[in-house]
Amino acid sequence: MFTSNEKLIRFFVVMILTLPAVSSGEEPTSKPAAIDASLNQEFSEQIRPLLTKHCADCHNEELMTSGIRVDHLTGELPDKQLRLWMGIRKQIESDAMPPEEEAPLSPEEKETLIGWIDRAEIAVRSRERDKNGSVRRLTVAQYRNSLRDLLGVEDDFTDILPPDAVSKDGFLNNAESMLLSPVLLEAYFEIAEKMLDAGIVDEATPPAIQNFRMDLGQGINPEPCPDDLILGANSHLLKNPDFMVTQLTPEKSFPFEPRFMTTQYRFIEGYQGNDTVRGWREYDSIYHAVFACMRGAEGYPKGNAYQSVPQGLLLRPAIPSTEIFQVGSTYGPKANFKMSLRELPENGDFRVKVTAAKYNDGLLLERRVAEKGNDAPGAIVITKPEETQAITIPEAGIYQIDIHPTPEENKNQKPCDLVIGDRFFSNKWEQPAFIVVRLAEGEIPIRATLHGIPLERMQITRLSDSEEAAQEFVRFEKRDPILGVYLGLRRDCGSTLAQVEKPVSVSSTELQTFEFRGAIRNYPRPEVEKNNVNYLAGIKEIGVRSEYTDGRDRPQLLLRSVEFEGPYYEAWPPVTHQQIFILSEHKDEPATYAREIISNFANRAYRRPATEDEIESTLQIWKAAYSETGDFNGAIKQSLLVVLTSPQFLFLIENSTTPAAEPLGEFELASKLSYFLWNSAPDAQTQHLAATHQLRQQLDQEIDRMIADSRFEDFLHPFASQWLSLDKLDVVETDREMYPRLTRDVKAQLRAEPAALLKHLFRENLPVANLVRSDLVVANEVTADYYGLDTPLESGFDFEPVPHHQSHLGGVISQASVLAGLSNGKESNPIKRGAWLARKIVAEPPDDPPPNVPALDEDLTQLTLRERLELHRNQKGCVQCHTGIDPWGFPFEEYDAGGLFKRKQEVDSKSDLPDGTHVAGMLEFKDYLAEERQDQVAFSFLKHLMTYAVGRTLTYNEIEFIRQHALELKPQGYPMKKMLHFVVQSPIFLEK
Amino acid sequence: MPDSLKLNRRSVLKGLAGATLALPVLEAMGSEVSQQVPRRFCALYTANGMSLPKEEHGIDDWHWFPEEVGSEFQFNKSTEPLSPFRQQLSFLGGLHHPNGTKADPHTCSDMWLTGAPLHNPKPGTYNTVALDQLIALHTKQYCRQPSLVLSIDAGTGFLSRTGTISYSLDGKPVPAENSPRRIFDRLFRGDTSSLEQERETLRKRIKLVDAVLENARRLNKELGKSDREKMDQYLTSLNEVESRLIASEKWIDIPIKQQDYSHLNLDATSDGEPADYYRTMFDLIALAFDADITRSVAFMLNREDGMGISDTFPIKLGLSSTHHYLSHAGDKEGQLNFAKYDRFLSEQIAHFFHRLNEYQDVNGSVLDNSIVLFGSGASTTHNPRNLPTLLAGGANMGVKHGTHWRKDDTRLSNLYLSILHAMGIEVDSFSDSTGTFDQSVFA
Repeated sequence: MFTSNEKLIRFFVVMILTLPAVSSGEEPTSKPAAIDASLNQEFSEQIRPLLTKHCADCHNEELMTSGIRVDHLTGELPDKQLRLWMGIRKQIESDAMPPEEEAPLSPEEKETLIGWIDRAEIAVRSRERDKNGSVRRLTVAQYRNSLRDLLGVEDDFTDILPPDAVSKDGFLNNAESMLLSPVLLEAYFEIAEKMLDAGIVDEATPPAIQNFRMDLGQGINPEPCPDDLILGANSHLLKNPDFMVTQLTPEKSFPFEPRFMTTQYRFIEGYQGNDTVRGWREYDSIYHAVFACMRGAEGYPKGNAYQSVPQGLLLRPAIPSTEIFQVGSTYGPKANFKMSLRELPENGDFRVKVTAAKYNDGLLLERRVAEKGNDAPGAIVITKPEETQAITIPEAGIYQIDIHPTPEENKNQKPCDLVIGDRFFSNKWEQPAFIVVRLAEGEIPIRATLHGIPLERMQITRLSDSEEAAQEFVRFEKRDPILGVYLGLRRDCGSTLAQVEKPVSVSSTELQTFEFRGAIRNYPRPEVEKNNVNYLAGIKEIGVRSEYTDGRDRPQLLLRSVEFEGPYYEAWPPVTHQQIFILSEHKDEPATYAREIISNFANRAYRRPATEDEIESTLQIWKAAYSETGDFNGAIKQSLLVVLTSPQFLFLIENSTTPAAEPLGEFELASKLSYFLWNSAPDAQTQHLAATHQLRQQLDQEIDRMIADSRFEDFLHPFASQWLSLDKLDVVETDREMYPRLTRDVKAQLRAEPAALLKHLFRENLPVANLVRSDLVVANEVTADYYGLDTPLESGFDFEPVPHHQSHLGGVISQASVLAGLSNGKESNPIKRGAWLARKIVAEPPDDPPPNVPALDEDLTQLTLRERLELHRNQKGCVQCHTGIDPWGFPFEEYDAGGLFKRKQEVDSKSDLPDGTHVAGMLEFKDYLAEERQDQVAFSFLKHLMTYAVGRTLTYNEIEFIRQHALELKPQGYPMKKMLHFVVQSPIFLEK
Repeated sequence: MPDSLKLNRRSVLKGLAGATLALPVLEAMGSEVSQQVPRRFCALYTANGMSLPKEEHGIDDWHWFPEEVGSEFQFNKSTEPLSPFRQQLSFLGGLHHPNGTKADPHTCSDMWLTGAPLHNPKPGTYNTVALDQLIALHTKQYCRQPSLVLSIDAGTGFLSRTGTISYSLDGKPVPAENSPRRIFDRLFRGDTSSLEQERETLRKRIKLVDAVLENARRLNKELGKSDREKMDQYLTSLNEVESRLIASEKWIDIPIKQQDYSHLNLDATSDGEPADYYRTMFDLIALAFDADITRSVAFMLNREDGMGISDTFPIKLGLSSTHHYLSHAGDKEGQLNFAKYDRFLSEQIAHFFHRLNEYQDVNGSVLDNSIVLFGSGASTTHNPRNLPTLLAGGANMGVKHGTHWRKDDTRLSNLYLSILHAMGIEVDSFSDSTGTFDQSVFA
């Protein structure tokens, strides 16, 4: 792709005017360079005299006014003087220096100085640097993923680590910003110890396994708990006969101890309703250890939130709560079933098995649907519907059922129940037209009741396929309930339930069993001591929901049973143990076996073959511990602890032996590639390629394999989040009353949208212009509903590409996660959005704001935003940066602080862009970016991708390399996957 | 100090092999091991707010906050017992946690030291780190116990109305201790078998760190011209970890400071006389500070919402009802009774300050080298604004006293950030802080 002499290319004066502010911090040192002799000569002839005349009186060695001196500056331009030159340039350009009381620079003098400094900057920045390899610590995420992949332990103990710092480029993996501290190292020891404890077991002791099942259904429990159960405020307990708990002994291929739950308790703090009561009480029943409850605000807009029927528990979608205290519930969404329980294992994996079906449901009718006349052809009319009657359905089909109460009664909003065969339908009565259902041919018993109010008649009328209610029903019955499982703890404020794996669609009306697995430690749990004296302390929760996406009716979820098993082992000793204590012929020769174990483990941990020295020194740890205790496994644990806290594991090391650029070694390349595209250590295949020296040759195929793999998500999410600053969405305090639809759940889906779009663009290798302008959005049911797409999706929570037919959508720059994050939660903010676009999308970052900028003191409340910004821009000290920021932000004025197009509002979104182009609004702005500025958008994307890929700030030459060579991709419109290949195949990535 | 003058820590230890090592020797081992004068922090929490009676009842002289703002303030009746310490304390008015206004008010004790958004927790978490635990993270290297977490009820209680005000770095409640005798035995009468076990664990860890160091040094030599800076950082940090471990191990052999325990009433329990109980607990904290056993203490005096034994204390003291019930009282009698309970608490805290003043560090009293924060998570019933807050001690740590300071809607987290800085812990922010606290209080 590149020729070898291209590294020699220098970039000259053309760049002066558009010079970007590159790389922060100190430049790496360079050789005493043969600097452009003419610069040096000009310095002696023109620049030094100017400095002496205008600056050196105050800024000399003795006075050092403001800590600055200029008398030592030389025309040889040593690297370390560059920062000072840049500071001088800024002072001169903004006329801050010379100070007012001194003679000003003439326009010509100013031009001479600035012109020379600009050329000098390029000369310095483009110097050839030594390449001395690199040492880069794993980020918190990389460390976590590496430990997980290495040990196979899902438990995450890394939450004690301080978060990584954000570099100036916005990335968390920048080598310079990743510091090390004793606190961090102590945490590494602690985490490694816990991970090894979790992975290594005592083979001889059979594990204790907790296993129980809750069966649900009306009257299912022949021996219900006689006590009134209590579970504090806002818990709606299911009736005691409607659930049953059985402690089980699972079938396992290895010996184990069943761990049965305690059923006898003693508490002094208890509850009566919402009041606290004090006094010792004894409890003795499994039903004080496991409860079946519903949580969330009362009331459901249509039908019952939940209902016990003989077949199980019916659940409607869990409508997200507004989570505004005293306005809505802070207890989580509506219709939120959970098992509350006192005992769960402390550590290890668990499995929740849910047996559920899609209910053979009917579509409850809303006010707009009219009742059927009693003259409708073939209508079946039933008088005395309160008595069960057998009727004959002449042919299978879709039927509307109308329920007519006696006219004079007040029946509005009273609960109305309809039973057809073994199917149950309930709603608040509002009108005769009650429900549309599918009925089979033949005889069936039927009955309706309305809260004791006498009914006049019930009418069953066949709907023709063309009728709107029938069509609506067909769409309804095609939809599936989506089953989600959660784990958390009980508390009074804010739901802690966290999702276990992804939700699944339940498409069969026959009961099916679904499995959800996780590591128990990764979920919120009440950390209370044993024998806590409070009845509600330490209550854990397993939540099961029918998931809500967009509010459209969908059949109810029929929940039959929920079974828990944990710790969940498929084998004993578990795989985590077997991976360390590998099979060997030398198991009875401790020293030999220990060496095998250590060598196998270190090879994987260090992502390369461990050296003989490394193995030997680690083995010494084992030897010392083993000779002291005689405990083989314990001694192994000690030695592996050293491996996991050694720099060989914690750092990504590219070892260079000369100042010249050298190609990465195969193993170095394997790690660099894998941490880039998977955010974790290379897998066996990549390692094998490296070991057999084929990785470099097969690099393109390997990149494609990694992109196609599911682990590519571990690139997409951190990269999208860091490149686009999506963390702003996490911290913005959205005004819930202005933007009630931007709930926590909706935010979570919107937050995932940019990564989903990138995935689509990478995998389909689509042109880069799609980042700024696209006919497609990548959406799921939740985000489609939020954006108001005209084609409703049926994809649940899965993102899929869909045409949006709305000109204001498309591209990352129209995504609500970006736009809502770049607001103050109430109003849109063109400055934040403008600065973001300048930095992220066109890579023309504004300078940092100068210190001590005075606030505008006039009363500005009478002015429009644009007028206020105008005023701001004209302020001395502000103008320079803001002319490079505000114009990028004005087109975004078409979007509100919730990130949505302002439909109801006239907005002024025209803008005169920094290069003089006028755009009338977002539409033209997108065209401008996608066409006129396509190269710049592609460059910006590549620059960010490269920075993330190599984990450091790029040098000037590297940036210019990208600018130059990216043009090779222009004829195809900069296809996204190609750009990724470009990054990896570049010398910036491949050399050290 | 140049490296050559530093003692080799390991060799000192090995040389003395269990013999008593005097504290000053430690000072030659680098500033990280020993700090001249301890800086300490103690947080004291009382639940259900404090007495701010309605004007119409005409008992304004029972108002917890003084009426006058500034240095000319007068103590009202509910805080009068604190008046001898006037120049060592300040009333701080107008403080709040912005997140407190959004969450269920019963959870106010859970967030008092954390400021966390409990109404919308970060997925997978309950709370965020409490001030005392963050302080402990930085002070633990200087003393035997990282922190002391005390409460009227042992354990953690029920999340949402926890029985502890302390939360670990990852936001988990730290179980509290409540038995004076057990606390005394643990802190001052460490039994030798558990000490031996502790020593064993530390030694093992030191060996490991040594091994890792060796591994790292070898690697460092092999690295050609690779960026050495990161490796240097790593080696320096690892050295520091080792010194801390060695320092911890040393504590085991250093005898606890000789102190007079004769005033301790270790039979006091939370079931007995409230005053006996609180005074004994305060005596223990003062002793622990004096002996530099710990530098971070959190003590929850009462629990929210009628939880726990302390709810009955007002009745034991002859007042008309329980603590939680009185906090809800709107009538004059009820509000007066609530105020009288506050006076009782002031008496206990005055006892604590008195003790802290009795003990001396090299440069003044222990109180002058300790910041004591006393407050509540509500002002009146379920009102999370204008949180009653008393700041005492720390004169040698840059805290200026003797005023009633007031500014509405000041973030409590800003106060916490300034406390951290006064402790010598240079962090940029704490929780939702927006800056440091007013310079008239923190120099």
